[in-house]
Amino acid sequence: MVKERKIVCRCEDLTEEEIIHAIEEGYDNLESLKRYTGATTGACQGKGCLMHIIRILSQKTGKSPEEIGVTTQRPPVNPVPLYVLSEGGESE
Amino acid sequence: MRVAIIGAGVMGLSTAYYLAKLGAEVTVFEQKYLLYGASGRNSGGITPMIDKKELIPFALKSLELYDKLPAEVDFNFLFRKDGYVKVAASDSDAEKLKRDVRVQNELGVKSRIIEPSEVKELVPDLNTDSIVLASYCSESGVIFPWPVVWGLAKGCRENGVEIKDQTAVDEIVVEGGVKGVRAGGEFYKADIVVNAAGAWSNKVSEKAGVKLENKILKEEICVTESIKPYLDPYLYDITYGVYLSQSARGEIVGGITGREVEEISTDSTLEFAARYAKRATQLIPKLKGLAMLRQWAGVYDEGKDGLPVVGFTEVDGFVQANGLGKHTGMIVAPALGRELAKLIVKGDNPNLKEFSPRRF
Repeated sequence: MVKERKIVCRCEDLTEEEIIHAIEEGYDNLESLKRYTGATTGACQGKGCLMHIIRILSQKTGKSPEEIGVTTQRPPVNPVPLYVLSEGGESE
Repeated sequence: MRVAIIGAGVMGLSTAYYLAKLGAEVTVFEQKYLLYGASGRNSGGITPMIDKKELIPFALKSLELYDKLPAEVDFNFLFRKDGYVKVAASDSDAEKLKRDVRVQNELGVKSRIIEPSEVKELVPDLNTDSIVLASYCSESGVIFPWPVVWGLAKGCRENGVEIKDQTAVDEIVVEGGVKGVRAGGEFYKADIVVNAAGAWSNKVSEKAGVKLENKILKEEICVTESIKPYLDPYLYDITYGVYLSQSARGEIVGGITGREVEEISTDSTLEFAARYAKRATQLIPKLKGLAMLRQWAGVYDEGKDGLPVVGFTEVDGFVQANGLGKHTGMIVAPALGRELAKLIVKGDNPNLKEFSPRRF
């Protein structure tokens, strides 16, 4: 059994099976699937898993990757420590 | 009775859920997907320590409902009741906390004033020099807003409610009174149309020809990387408007209380990130090394006098259910939705008198 576990999101420890289960539960658009499973919201912010998620969603729903789209990309691009942020950005 | 509800946030869904239980035939229209609006973008702070006395009975009732609802709809809301601390960083805000606690106690809230040293017992590594005084309520905490919305949606569907996502309401058909709505090219007959559209409520109200002048607020939030369970209570600094708590997933979720805006926007700014990081690390210096992973923004609304706008309007059958306000939407919505369902079915509910749209 162990060898059949296909990890698609390392940060949130999600398998392909779990993604498929969520889609079957009705979380069958990217934004809902992201929120329900936590995929793309971990430390990598989707860099490692987004394409896998889109592929699975495409295979399960028959929609093209173009139709599925991508999640909203939110700043920062890479994690930034709070002590760095606290030094900047004063514009008022 | 057929009811069309516009907005599948926590207010629209609570109203739908309790209406369905009272036997109404309900359809909920959501312009985007569930969680798109403020109900999916907030930090989940839950407390009856509110500085508007009119809302306190609803907060207390909602706390009871949050205990019951997860079992009723068979969905875990991930409500962690580890308390809520409001801190003041100025003498005048310390006086405000004292006044607020007196009012809260009179209305049955078990909140109390605590000294910085006691806050430190609740919030390890707090810099006690960064605050003057605090108030605390143990029957409070952090809820995960996403399962609240999913759970309510599940409960709605199981009670016969139809939720139509990606379906914006293009027209509210009014002839004398409300006749229905047009959405996605189809007409839906309805005796009652409920406007639970949050920040979009003013625009929705216009479609019914009813003037609504809720304030629109934009609020920015961020999360850090996950760390082991560290911070039990929800912490809100009323002087700086900065709040933070630890989510069920270990992230430190924090933001700054919303500011009034003219136009709906969910852009993120570096200015927010810097202001937040500065105050958060003054409060808890140990957070300095923690990295911010993601920031976002949400929009919500508040009645122009600061209170929600809930009830019948001058257009027969058109009902407002919006303006829930800063830091209060998640905690008042279940009870407010339940009372609104009663109002709609019975035609009257004295409990909602203070929120009537006709007060303006």
